Amino acid sequence: MGSAAGIVQQIAKGKRSAAAVLAECKALIQAKDPELNCFTAKTFERAEREAAAIDALYAGGKALPPLAGVPYAVKNLFDVEGMVTLAGAKINAGNVPAAADATIVARMKRAGAVLLGALNMEELAYGFLTENHHYGTTRNPHDLERGAGGSSGGSAAAVGAGMLPITLGSDTSGSIRVPASLCGVFGLKPTYGRLPRTGTYPFVNSFDHVGPFANSVHGLALAYDVMQGPDPADPACAQRAIEPAGVTLSLPPGTRIGILGGWFHEWADPAARRSVQLAAAALGATEWTEFKSAEVARAAAYVITGAEGGALHRPRLIERYEDFGPASRSRLVAGGLIPASWVIQAQRVRRHAYREAMDLFERFDLLIAAAAPAVAPKVGQEALLINGRSIPTKAGLGVLTQPISCIGLPVCTVPVWPAEGDSAAERALPVGVQLIGAPWHEGLCLAAARTLEQAGIAEVRPTSAA
Amino acid sequence: MTETDDNPLQAYVRAALALQGYTFGDAEIAEIVTQFSRLEAIARTVFDWPLPFASEPAPVFRP
Repeated sequence: MGSAAGIVQQIAKGKRSAAAVLAECKALIQAKDPELNCFTAKTFERAEREAAAIDALYAGGKALPPLAGVPYAVKNLFDVEGMVTLAGAKINAGNVPAAADATIVARMKRAGAVLLGALNMEELAYGFLTENHHYGTTRNPHDLERGAGGSSGGSAAAVGAGMLPITLGSDTSGSIRVPASLCGVFGLKPTYGRLPRTGTYPFVNSFDHVGPFANSVHGLALAYDVMQGPDPADPACAQRAIEPAGVTLSLPPGTRIGILGGWFHEWADPAARRSVQLAAAALGATEWTEFKSAEVARAAAYVITGAEGGALHRPRLIERYEDFGPASRSRLVAGGLIPASWVIQAQRVRRHAYREAMDLFERFDLLIAAAAPAVAPKVGQEALLINGRSIPTKAGLGVLTQPISCIGLPVCTVPVWPAEGDSAAERALPVGVQLIGAPWHEGLCLAAARTLEQAGIAEVRPTSAA
Repeated sequence: MTETDDNPLQAYVRAALALQGYTFGDAEIAEIVTQFSRLEAIARTVFDWPLPFASEPAPVFRP
């Protein structure tokens, strides 16, 4: 398939047409998707039209847009004109089709990208697995007995399997970073408010982010750059000018990088610790530090998520409880019962945790930590055992991401291959590393990711799937 | 004395469900009580966290 930048170059030089790239991509999807279950809908007719438009521009000698002919697909909570936005839920299946594309889908289209379909996710984005009661489990492209993670599991697995160079997902508590870690791909969760969420199905307004997955850092930066820009229709979207990250993907000399210990070390198993060690060594990071509010920030995120998610879905939970998946419905109802005093206290904690993080960024430009506590668990695995402590898989996979999204920091997750574990299967799996920046410093996160990619520490590896 | 009198969390869940318009059978309520217990266990970290009296919540409404 190749990287997004490679495809753009080949099309610009006339070495491949957008139609030829699309044909290859469709063949890969038809060969690989049946055993992985990434797609819930395909938009091949639209893709044919979009690819033909790019080839017409080339034939006419016109300038090509930045993602000309690059195939991509989106988590099925993004509005796609003419399609029902499922958000992984049966309760949405009877809704009217979207009248227009979500803002960032429209921006991808304007940039010349070619949309191939909608991707599977955890129901309503509530959870770190993609074991969807209604639309099936998305499997890990590196080991079909294991899960892809979630909630953007289809988005991560489609890139990890080599079906697509770019996909889009969303991240409320780790839903880009966890599946990126488990499937061995690059993922970017920008600063809260950086990318507009207009036309996406909400889960927790206080924490919902959108962002890209890619098989290269350059591809991630290309997609991120074309999706930037203010959007008054999203009240959380910062009305900031575009700050292109893909122009210079090099780490400035003297960048101060801290390794997060404490909570982030305690909840990282030997494989996750090894990933962090490999990344730290390649970045020249030696100093450990601690984000002392990590545990309470995670707890605050848990409370706010439960309350907002439960309140959002209450009318449908009252009317159609049986149509929600068994793993979601009782959690959503319980969340909706959280007393206001807990939520207010959690929001105060959130402010406090943010201030502590800002103090850390006086000493460091970038912080690093594992993106998941371990390699991908097996499908149906109930618990993770992390350094002798058991934690339910569904909640535990986000233990290292939730404290960071609680305070909206930008994070690039990179795929690292620690070769640690009790079995050969485990030793062949990745654990991602979070490169965490201060607010609005996505460029620095991406530059560090590029450094690791160039050093051969972070890479998307071929899979055995199909 | 009823079972819920002995268990304030269960009593709270039953009362809050009724207040919010939910009507569930005992099996569903038991599931929801289990989920609420998990939330409450995690939320304890938040209650006990010392904060200055004047510290403000994170979201600020800006018209």
